[in-house]
Amino acid sequence: MQKQFPVEQRFAVLMKAAQAGDTSAYVQLLEEITPRLRQAIRRQRMFLDPSDIEDLVQDVLLSLHAVRATYDPERPFMPWLFAIMKNRMADSARRQIRVSAHELQVDDLAVTFSDNPENIDEEAYRDPEALRLAIDRLPQAQRQAIDMLKLRELSLKEASAVSGMSIGALKVSVHRAMATLRKVLKDG
Amino acid sequence: MDTNTLIRQLGAEGEPVRPLARPWARTVAWLAFGAVYVAAVVIMMTPRSDLLLKVSESRYLVEQCAALLTGIAAAGAAFASVIPGMNRRLLLVPLVPLAVWVGSLGQGCLLDWVQFGAGGLSLQPDWLCFPAIALVGAGPAVTIAWMIRRGAPLSPHLTAALGGLAAAGLGNFGLRLFHPQDASLMVLVWQFGSVFILSILAALSGRYVLNWQSVTNRVRARAVVGR
Repeated sequence: MQKQFPVEQRFAVLMKAAQAGDTSAYVQLLEEITPRLRQAIRRQRMFLDPSDIEDLVQDVLLSLHAVRATYDPERPFMPWLFAIMKNRMADSARRQIRVSAHELQVDDLAVTFSDNPENIDEEAYRDPEALRLAIDRLPQAQRQAIDMLKLRELSLKEASAVSGMSIGALKVSVHRAMATLRKVLKDG
Repeated sequence: MDTNTLIRQLGAEGEPVRPLARPWARTVAWLAFGAVYVAAVVIMMTPRSDLLLKVSESRYLVEQCAALLTGIAAAGAAFASVIPGMNRRLLLVPLVPLAVWVGSLGQGCLLDWVQFGAGGLSLQPDWLCFPAIALVGAGPAVTIAWMIRRGAPLSPHLTAALGGLAAAGLGNFGLRLFHPQDASLMVLVWQFGSVFILSILAALSGRYVLNWQSVTNRVRARAVVGR
């Protein structure tokens, strides 16, 4: 029966069923559109890592889910979906620009010296007990991110696989955790 | 979380949702509430004594109709702007009544100048306008903010500006039913100026009221809790 419909109409029918609470139709729809989203994002953002593309795909799926009431069953499905996708891609690019504007890329320094002024600030943080207590007081997600990325020195991919958190969420958690730790340790 | 797991979790959360009504239908609903609220405020503030006389003046009628239509068109455009895939040209529709509104006020200023010279364009302070428009537009503003938050935050600043223009346009329409100030320059500067400022303030608040982060975080949190 479904083969009679072109893809576009089948998606519209599945989405209409999903809005009515048919969870199997919804899962089928999400499974069918995911490769299309992945392909479309990869085509438009060829410079991104596969993990970043996957983050974007997940963002689009989450957005679709959150605003699925805005789909009008009388209107075509694909323009609705691609409008969300393009908007999320633009949103992600803006966020990336904002984040990179506040980030400072520094080359790894092979050697530092004890009289190097940079090390003097570092000394203020070298109270292992205070650091341990500060880490213990972090929210669970941030504590987990610090533990995996800074203490156990896992890569983002490994930490994501272990924790189930997305790479984006890990980056945010560790960034917030570092900011909190810096503030807590500085305030004493 | 891998994508297949996310799909399964979203599927498990796929409770029924009622599709949003079309933008024009939502505009009618918003206007119905807004009209009741504005009428209540106008009655509370006491309608101007010369209202019956004013409604027979074509200039007053044109300006009032233009303000009201600007509010209605801006509300329709705001509702359209939160529907993915909607024709973006619809967002330009409010410019038509807005141009008529500004044009009629500009023409009024010109006629006052021709008729009375520089004295016809005197500008006195009228500090009531801003808070009064904000008060009359408050009900429609809260309602439209609540309604547009049910949509997709595709262009937060533009949507919020249109929502602000809708509420302030309706607010200005209500203001002129109880505030006896009709000199074109005064209306242009103090009343239209207030509408403009309120729309800008609304636009600036756009990203706080509407953003993908808060929309998807709610879903993400439910997905994590449901794991």
